[in-house]
Amino acid sequence: MNVTEKEIAHYRAQVPHLYSEPLQVRLQRAAVWVGIVGLFIYCLIVFDFSPARIMTGVERFGRVLSFMFPPYIWTSWFEFAPILEGLLETLAIAFLGTVLGAVIAFPLSFLGAKNINRIPFLRHTTRRGYDVIRAFETLILALIFIRAFGLGPLPGILAMAVSEIGTFAKLFSEAIENTSEKPVDGVKASGGSRFQTVRFGVMPQVSPVIISILLYNFESNVRSGTILGIVGAGGIGFLLSDRISAYKWDEAWSIIFLIIIMVYIIDWLSAKIRKKIIGEFGDTK
Amino acid sequence: MTALNISGLSKHFGTTKAVDSATLDIEAGQFVGVIGRSGAGKSTLLRLINRLIEPTEGSVSFDGVDITKLKGKALRQWRRDCAMIFQQFNLVDRLDVITNVLIGRVAEHGVLSSTAMRFSDEERTMAAKALDRLDMVPFALQRAGTLSGGQQQRVAIARALVQNPRIMLADEPIASLDPGNATRVMDALRTINEEDKLTVLVNLHTLDTAREYCGRIIAMRQGQVMFDGPAHELTDAVVRDIYGADGLDDFNEAVTSTSVGNRPRVAA
Repeated sequence: MNVTEKEIAHYRAQVPHLYSEPLQVRLQRAAVWVGIVGLFIYCLIVFDFSPARIMTGVERFGRVLSFMFPPYIWTSWFEFAPILEGLLETLAIAFLGTVLGAVIAFPLSFLGAKNINRIPFLRHTTRRGYDVIRAFETLILALIFIRAFGLGPLPGILAMAVSEIGTFAKLFSEAIENTSEKPVDGVKASGGSRFQTVRFGVMPQVSPVIISILLYNFESNVRSGTILGIVGAGGIGFLLSDRISAYKWDEAWSIIFLIIIMVYIIDWLSAKIRKKIIGEFGDTK
Repeated sequence: MTALNISGLSKHFGTTKAVDSATLDIEAGQFVGVIGRSGAGKSTLLRLINRLIEPTEGSVSFDGVDITKLKGKALRQWRRDCAMIFQQFNLVDRLDVITNVLIGRVAEHGVLSSTAMRFSDEERTMAAKALDRLDMVPFALQRAGTLSGGQQQRVAIARALVQNPRIMLADEPIASLDPGNATRVMDALRTINEEDKLTVLVNLHTLDTAREYCGRIIAMRQGQVMFDGPAHELTDAVVRDIYGADGLDDFNEAVTSTSVGNRPRVAA
């Protein structure tokens, strides 16, 4: 297909924006880029990201890393038992927090989904509710709950559950909104009630997504659960921060290694579970 | 002159033989229709030719070049030469029409110009010309996802045209279109075949469309080529055999017809 200058001129005259975007669009785009790059550089300057500071930091970090060798090995069961207990406690906090959050978020998520809750006022109120909950970081919630419930795993579990309610409700309701209307119409046309359209039309579409979200957030909670201990909300984090503040870097590093191994195993397991479950459901998109 | 040579071509999915030692010679400039029931291997055959899937056995050659052996750049150039349009149009819904058409030029572009989605004025004009042939210029700046099915298929044909293809494959291009749009799309393919002397190979569900447009019809059943000849030789006995309609007393082409104004043919 050969193109002549005349043809180029013809189509340029007919639809000029085929060849270049409107000036306004180009200006807007340039302005956005200048804004982002400018803000980035400004922040670097304000926080004094000077190469000299980075260099000294890296040097000191190297020293901290060197404490890893030789690695600390727990020799007696008496010494190792609390570590193991801490790890398991972190796992338990993550598990309970995730399940509790999901159980409460599940019904709430339907209230926030456009295709289920057709009353805009109620839906928007619910959604703002999710936002308010999500505005509290787990760590802040933990600090508040420790005041109320005392030290230990209980405030940790509650903090995790509450922050997960916000996250789960938002993610679940988005999954519900992203379902196809077609199966729903199929159920409705067969004489299904409102509840039945949800049960037979919507739920089979969302359940693989929900399971995937649950598994991912459980993983993520195992990771963030280690931090909760640092503020006194139970788990391995308490032991870790204790060793760090006592300058027992070798033992601290060994604990960090154990945490990495635990998180890795959870990641691996949940990937397997996800593959099995999503595979069974087929491609429900 | 033979353009496309298919010899002993097979594709197995596990124990299923989707295409079972198909051998065909297609001459340059022919308008060939491939018919057969769902699962007969029509789509697999087209995908094998375009190398979207790899054959289990056999070979496909075009103008003497064995395309089943192509790799890397040569393979991408073959895919450009052998344009394909799909039942579900396979456009990028979120991109505008002109960019969708310009995707037909990607084989000529490297990583840098593709990242910036940068195309030359000549290419943009090629795209505009292709859209003009299909009366789609007024929609050029609209998002492809906002168009109707018939319009989307015409954009897909325009994308195929700017590839400067040597052969055009169409995988059930009208199966999800209403009769009016189906006619426009088939007419566009016919025009391309006649004006550009382009070989067209099209999978069809509707027999009367195949009879109407295709000089030559190939019928497949269970992966094998069962019939290959001019449209008038496709008798009802052959059709019954291909579609396995033994149990159906009133096998009637008019039931599946999507043509406008065609009175039902009476089965002889």
